[in-house]
Amino acid sequence: MVVTLFIVALICSVILSFVYSYTAPQIEETQKALTLAGLKEVIVAQEFTPVMPDTVWEAIDSTQNVVGIVFRVFPQGYGGPVPIMVGLDLEGKITGIRIASAAEGLKETPGLGVKIIEPSFRDQFIGKTIDNILLKKDGGEIDAITAATISSRAVCNGIKQGIEEFASYLCPPLDKRCIFPDAQDFIEAITDTLWYALGESDTLGIVFIATTQGYADQIEFIVGLTIKGQITGVEILYSNETPGIGDVIRDKEFLNSFKEKMPDAITGATVSSEALINGIKEKVEIYKDYLK
Amino acid sequence: MKKSQIFTRGLIKENAVLVLMIGLCPALAVSGTVRDAFGMGLAATFVLFFSNIIISIMRKRIPNEVRIPIFILIISTFVTIIDYFMQAFQPNLYQALGVFVPLIVVNCMILGRAEAYASKNSVINSALDGLGVGLGFTLALTVMGAIREIFGNGTLLGMAIFGEGFKNAPVIFMILPPGAFLVIGVMKALINRYSK
Repeated sequence: MVVTLFIVALICSVILSFVYSYTAPQIEETQKALTLAGLKEVIVAQEFTPVMPDTVWEAIDSTQNVVGIVFRVFPQGYGGPVPIMVGLDLEGKITGIRIASAAEGLKETPGLGVKIIEPSFRDQFIGKTIDNILLKKDGGEIDAITAATISSRAVCNGIKQGIEEFASYLCPPLDKRCIFPDAQDFIEAITDTLWYALGESDTLGIVFIATTQGYADQIEFIVGLTIKGQITGVEILYSNETPGIGDVIRDKEFLNSFKEKMPDAITGATVSSEALINGIKEKVEIYKDYLK
Repeated sequence: MKKSQIFTRGLIKENAVLVLMIGLCPALAVSGTVRDAFGMGLAATFVLFFSNIIISIMRKRIPNEVRIPIFILIISTFVTIIDYFMQAFQPNLYQALGVFVPLIVVNCMILGRAEAYASKNSVINSALDGLGVGLGFTLALTVMGAIREIFGNGTLLGMAIFGEGFKNAPVIFMILPPGAFLVIGVMKALINRYSK
């Protein structure tokens, strides 16, 4: 009797593991296709490059220009996290949102909270910016679903927090305001190379463009520096480092870490990342004089 | 008992939800709209039909003392296999029905039919029984879904039927859990009244 139970359990496990290993690659393919279809629903673009795995994508049109980003957030709803995908154009306006259906993991109340996936609710967000994503009840412009305020509010909050968190991915690298967000204006000091970042009445720091020798080619970068010598932002303007290895220096997390302190070299891409780190250190030393 | 009777008795006379009072959890949880109710019903019918057949085929080999865990193993393995295949090869169907699959694995109606019928009867009779009970379940859920959707949302199958005015003030209570209990209670009362 115990033996029979054991055998049945064994057979079931073996069958299941076979079925699993047979279907798993296919399921992954299907998931990828669904993700791509979802991305195309929220923004018009040709292809998508992941900039943060499964969270942020850059949307690229047929002429290879970045037209915006798509990000994913999971705000807490009434029954569980609400999976939302949001498309943003370069001006920070929402191009479309997509909320997962119940079959894709939405756990809101059937017949009530799940109505947030309906176009009449969803499409209200199109064209909005971070400033007007609020329910009417909370003083904004979005109509909540009747009797599903918690779910509706969760969508608003999630999108808002997402934009706050990920909008920095929208900045085109040549835009000096992205490199030095606090500055009101910029005055060119050296043609196409160095600018003073101006506040209300005083100089806040400098922004400069420089190059350094990387592994494969020159790396061109732009750096913002405050009077106190703190880095406000780093972007790569040009690099031809090995795809999949040296090009990790374009990674936003790595670039953002310069704001805290000089980061360590990236394991596996030591030459490229050290070239950038040393290049930045060296040029900061040189251009520091302009801060006096 | 005639073959036709084995099939028809599950529809109303021994309806799983309204007479036997089993499978109540999905009946209460997934009857908010007709579409959901019908999807849940069909998915459960499909599984019930095949699990009855499998259990019936194996009924002479299953030792009496451990029959329940074995039934559960067989049913959940079968449902999980379907779940994987649907995810891999029928993503559209999975979008529509996938949410109900985990509910079926633990559905006492399927275990109940395995225990009460399939483990004691021939394969053909068990298949008919599974089909009849499954369709009866679908019928009960769909009627509940229709009532709750009409009153709770002012729509049927997503189409507005009371005009715009009602849309802003439906009887929301009907779509919430208390509405499910109310509808199932009234339906049970009506069945009791008229089946005697």
